[in-house]
Amino acid sequence: MSLKDCYNFDDFRKLAKRNLPAPIFHYIDGGSDDEATLKRNTEAFSKCDLVPSILTSVGEPDMTTEVFGEKIKMPLFLSPTAMQRLYHYDGDKASARAAEKFGTFYSMSTMATTSIEEISNVSGGPKMFQLYIHKDKGLTDNLIDRCKRSGFKAMCLTVDTVVAGNRERDHRWGFTTPPKLTLKSLLSFATHPMWSINYLTHEKFQLANVSHFTKKGSSIAKGVMEYINEQYDPKMNWQDAEYCIKRWGGPFAIKGVMSVEDAKRAVEIGASAIMLSNHGGRQLDGSRSPFDQLPAIAEAVGGKLEIILDGGVRRGTHVLKALSLGATACSFGKGYLFALGAGGQKGVEALLQRMHDEIRRDMILLGCKTIKDLKKTNIAYR
Amino acid sequence: MGLKDCHNFSDFRKLAKRKLPSPIFHYIDGAADDEVTYKRNTEAFNEVDLVPNVLRGVEQVDLSTTIFGKKLDLPFYCSPTALQRLFHYQGERAVGKAAQKFNTMFGVSSLATVSVEEISSMIDTPKLFQFYYHKDKGLNNAIVERVKAAKFDVMALTVDTITGGNRERDLRTGFTSPPKLTLSSLISFAIKPMWGINYVTRGKFELPHLQDHVKEGTSTATSVGNYFSTMLDQSMNWKDAENLCSKWGGHFALKGVMSVEDAKRAVDIGCTGIMVSNHGGRQLDGARSPFDQLAEIVDAVGDKVDVICEGGIQRGTHMLKALSMGAKACAGGRLYLYALAAAGQEGVERALNQYRVELERDMKLMGCTKISDLSRKNLRFRK
Repeated sequence: MSLKDCYNFDDFRKLAKRNLPAPIFHYIDGGSDDEATLKRNTEAFSKCDLVPSILTSVGEPDMTTEVFGEKIKMPLFLSPTAMQRLYHYDGDKASARAAEKFGTFYSMSTMATTSIEEISNVSGGPKMFQLYIHKDKGLTDNLIDRCKRSGFKAMCLTVDTVVAGNRERDHRWGFTTPPKLTLKSLLSFATHPMWSINYLTHEKFQLANVSHFTKKGSSIAKGVMEYINEQYDPKMNWQDAEYCIKRWGGPFAIKGVMSVEDAKRAVEIGASAIMLSNHGGRQLDGSRSPFDQLPAIAEAVGGKLEIILDGGVRRGTHVLKALSLGATACSFGKGYLFALGAGGQKGVEALLQRMHDEIRRDMILLGCKTIKDLKKTNIAYR
Repeated sequence: MGLKDCHNFSDFRKLAKRKLPSPIFHYIDGAADDEVTYKRNTEAFNEVDLVPNVLRGVEQVDLSTTIFGKKLDLPFYCSPTALQRLFHYQGERAVGKAAQKFNTMFGVSSLATVSVEEISSMIDTPKLFQFYYHKDKGLNNAIVERVKAAKFDVMALTVDTITGGNRERDLRTGFTSPPKLTLSSLISFAIKPMWGINYVTRGKFELPHLQDHVKEGTSTATSVGNYFSTMLDQSMNWKDAENLCSKWGGHFALKGVMSVEDAKRAVDIGCTGIMVSNHGGRQLDGARSPFDQLAEIVDAVGDKVDVICEGGIQRGTHMLKALSMGAKACAGGRLYLYALAAAGQEGVERALNQYRVELERDMKLMGCTKISDLSRKNLRFRK
């Protein structure tokens, strides 16, 4: 099996599973508790159907849309994800270059393994930075200021990780960053020698954006969950969010908003966007899926800020359903991470090409010429 | 597989399965008929979603709740379950001590294998006694007096076991109390020698609340279903419950109330709480799940009595959903029984701690710092 055999999410996932040591694969693949929310995020899209309009002389559809003040060439972008160099030695560089090629946003996590400055040197495409508020406030200011200097276009603050989710697959596999060998995982690293060789022969693994502030994550083998619980500030509140928005002074999203009440509050404090997300089902299991919650959010704050649907997106039709119900754009994490694990930059490009082609084809089949043509009338609930 | 590999309900279940002779495991694990209600009890929680609120500043979470006039550190407690010394030689002693450690309520069954007097001298945290209404009125009176003398805090009359549920796994394995060796169960006892050694060497099997009055269950082997059908009073009615309630004279609950009508009637006869329960799916298969029925019950009587949601709970998020719906507390049997079988007191403590940790995390992720912050605003039903 190789990249050219990868036609969809499941194929990329399969190939990533072959390439990656098990603890690392399961870190991407898993959710919290019983993974009920993880499953629902995708299943939710199947609860409504698309109703096409015919004979609309579609021609070549225009897939461009505007988000965070930037025109992007397709209404789907890369969500911020942590520690990408675990999945491929090129890590964030591969993702950023691939996103640039497709004219869409690449997002960098606070927990990235490549620095803000390094990425701005390798990619001129639109970039968003994802902020975690650490207990050490100096770190927050430092990250915001560096992103400004490095030409990042947008920033998002993640608010659904005040405490780490219960990711039981990580308990079982002993997933830590950097990877630590346990008896159980040893076999899995040994049977994926290419991954291990690449990991050892490329530059040293580190959390490049925070390593100068905290020794955690680079010199000590720490579970991600432990890192979150030790370093992130559970006292974080709306004032802190407002402070970040002001200090940044550009397009700003609150990532992890789910309730209508919170969405309205995001408008009040001056956020330009919200990312409707439950962290890919990795935090509160049993929480509502972004797609299920979208109509209520769109009704309350649509037009007042941009709504990014983040979670469960695996198909072009998922993107079209979300846009029809009022999302400005969609973003995804697992999809491109499996592609990254499957084949580095080439893998992410192959996936983005598939998603691009799917969205284009599905728009034609729906009879929509532009993103604006996607409306509620295209959707019927069962 | 050891205790440290147990991260959730199903892990404890797996470990219990390894430790127990199969008739005993299946007695815990099984339910009535096709076990439809048993499955639904847990599945019901998946039809409603949590909608969190963010940026609330959630450093400290207070999980305490007050039921039956007692403040518990946790919004869940150990439901009364029968025959605990069959599951681990420490039996009720283990569960009681674990419950005390977490300052939550310990429910003791009429079919307990350790006496109320011993439990009362062992732990000083809130205790509930579960009452089976027997045909033998002398037995009923004697139990009430003993439980009073032992200073229990709550009496709960079980009303859903008027006859034994059809637990087909017990029919197949030949499970009885006390355990009886049959040709088919012989092997399963033989391949779990540790269980057998503990059962034989750790003190005689007893049902201290019953054995002075009836020989069934101790000197005469009987299935639990058969015990219910033959020993309990099928003519029990509201008048009997009311009399028992006034005879007890303290906090009194009916366990196994499912209809709104009955919930209202429980208020009328002087109950201070009800357990919305179908006996863990072990009695009437096809019965509605407690969580599905909870909203109606809370709407009808939630301001008058403590409504406890009991059945199917396996996760902190399940409790969160029940509490958001309006339950005052949650309770469960299998919730701690597999852990008891897996590792005695240490196992139960690990299980209770896991649920506590889950609840605390889930509360933070919901943006809630105390139980009273939870409301139906946090919930959305799927269409």
